Amino acid sequence: MGRLARSLRDGIGFDTLLVFFTLAYLLAFAGLPLLYNIVLSFQSVDMFALGSLFHEVTGLENYRAVFEDPLARTVLWNTILFTLGSVLFQFTLGFALALFFNQAFPGSTWFRGLFLAGWVMPGLVVGVLWNWLLSGDFGVINWLLLNTGIIDDPIFWRSDTDYSLLAVMLANIWYGVPFNMILLSVGLAAIPEDLYEAAELDGATAVQRFFTITLPMMRSTIGAVIALGIIFTLQQFDLFAAITSGGPAGSSMVAQYWSWELSFRQFDFGRGAVIAVMMIVVVLGVAAIYVRSTRQETRL
Amino acid sequence: MKRLAAAAFASGLMASAAFAEDVTLTMWTESSNAPEGVFAKEFSDMDNGIKIDVREVRFDDLVAETLRAFATKTNPDIIAIDNPDHAAFASRGAFLDLTPMVEQSDQIDMDNYFDGPRSSLTWGDGVFGIPRASNTIALYYNKDMFRAAGLDPDSPPATWDALYEAAKKLTDPSNDVYGIAFSAKASEEGTFQFLPWVQMAGGSFDNINVDGAAEALDLWKAFFDEGLTSPDTLTRGQWDSTGTFNGGNAAMVISGPWELKRMAADTQFDWGVTLLPVPSDGAPRASALGDFNLAVFANSEHPSEAFRFLEYYDSQVERVWPEFTRMPSRKGVALAPTGNAKIDAAAPVFVEQLQYARNRGPHPEWPRISKAIQDGFQSALTGQKSSKDALDDAAAAIQKIMN
Repeated sequence: MGRLARSLRDGIGFDTLLVFFTLAYLLAFAGLPLLYNIVLSFQSVDMFALGSLFHEVTGLENYRAVFEDPLARTVLWNTILFTLGSVLFQFTLGFALALFFNQAFPGSTWFRGLFLAGWVMPGLVVGVLWNWLLSGDFGVINWLLLNTGIIDDPIFWRSDTDYSLLAVMLANIWYGVPFNMILLSVGLAAIPEDLYEAAELDGATAVQRFFTITLPMMRSTIGAVIALGIIFTLQQFDLFAAITSGGPAGSSMVAQYWSWELSFRQFDFGRGAVIAVMMIVVVLGVAAIYVRSTRQETRL
Repeated sequence: MKRLAAAAFASGLMASAAFAEDVTLTMWTESSNAPEGVFAKEFSDMDNGIKIDVREVRFDDLVAETLRAFATKTNPDIIAIDNPDHAAFASRGAFLDLTPMVEQSDQIDMDNYFDGPRSSLTWGDGVFGIPRASNTIALYYNKDMFRAAGLDPDSPPATWDALYEAAKKLTDPSNDVYGIAFSAKASEEGTFQFLPWVQMAGGSFDNINVDGAAEALDLWKAFFDEGLTSPDTLTRGQWDSTGTFNGGNAAMVISGPWELKRMAADTQFDWGVTLLPVPSDGAPRASALGDFNLAVFANSEHPSEAFRFLEYYDSQVERVWPEFTRMPSRKGVALAPTGNAKIDAAAPVFVEQLQYARNRGPHPEWPRISKAIQDGFQSALTGQKSSKDALDDAAAAIQKIMN
């Protein structure tokens, strides 16, 4: 048995082999499509020329068209609002629930598990559910709000341009809370109990313990959860498709849905690719935060 | 098939080479319960050596899925495609020009079809399919509610003004009843519903901002602003909007004959159908021309077998109305009685309305033109722009696409 074979079986060769397969996989199934997407964004792609690899190069024409589109500003603003709003509430509610279930009362683990039920449902199903809840004429949410006297007239969540984005955001917050909660619960469980005991002996109040022990010890977890939250929210597509389709009149259009709409409804693949490219840039930035957060985690 | 071939051999019937090998065709359609799905099954069960595998593709995904398949050369032999999408495929050579086969055919004669459906599948000098059926939209109304509101159920609104007045009288918020339901959704359905109003006012898809079109859009906006239609009309498709009519939450609804079966089964009240109201007495009528065409792909390996199926389809066209409440696209095919009095009473109204039905397009860039029209009426209905500005912007966008 040669040295190479030995190395391959149990040594540096084996490690290299594993890394090689992973890299090759990533390059083939993530790297190449990503690069091709960038190339597409500089080309004019006819709907029937999808099969050919190369298309007419039009330079920055697609970028110009996207930025000049009257919808572009709405989309930019909506995307920021939707992402920040969703992540803020998913995180706060998720954290609150994680702390609550961390109190180890009878049945706490069961209830925590039950909360995950929402998260394991497919996005389209969640979307259809919320579609009914938010329905203007017969929706449960309107019925509740009307009967408690909070509103006098029904809100047409999906059809009112002032509420359409909020409607999807509500659904998305509900959808994302369990995921935030479970990740944050894991972080909470990792904090050594004796830290709290020592602080308690020293007379620290619950609020003081939260800000001086829980939050600092959770820093890397929080960074990771927020970064993942942003990425997942930027990916959120099903809820838009099921609830508003980006409408009415583009009032709930966000970048990810617009990209799909341009590519697969208007068959303008070049412009669809432009938006995808810009989203990749944003996601790269967020991913950097995620990598930093999780790197610290392994050092702990 | 082996057993059948063996049986044929044993009984000495195997005369022609057609039996030597079965040909299997694939067909994509929105529903295997649609006429082409049912007919394909019958055709496959016949002793003709041709099998058709039917695959259902969701209506919303049909074009995107077909483009993808065409790019990778995994497209079917036959497709049932929505008529405004036909030109995109025909103009780029994706569909087979059937002219030579039609000339040889004893069954199919393009002159037998109405002009509208025929022109939707004609591109240049070629014909690229046959119409599956035709449909159009008209005004359904709840006769019981008409009586309760003091309106004459035997003279439903015939003009836009009368429609507005009726909608106003019929709206009854205390009983959760809207005067009228329709679809102003930002999808092909919205275009389908809005374009006839533009056409009645003298406009067309490439002339969308005529004065009358702004009036039509103002009327639509009045329905919304005065609460005569549900605000969800903006986001609901025709099927769901008609659902609210069937449930007694809307006194009138604009939709097509595909609703008849469900309406006859679901409703507890007396209803009727009338022609789409026109701008004023004597104004030209218009309506939308809907439904699908059957086309054969240019790269099919078995074009003549595929064409034989189209011939079979054409031969069964009398069944399209009584069995599927779809209207035949062939001239001179009477709508046979279905046995349901209400459906049979609606039939002549739709037959008349169909005479005024006009195509969307045909244009290879139809999806983008349609999107510009949708943006136009939605931006006006949500109050972002005046009707005039919205349609002017739509016209500018359409000009840009067409040049």
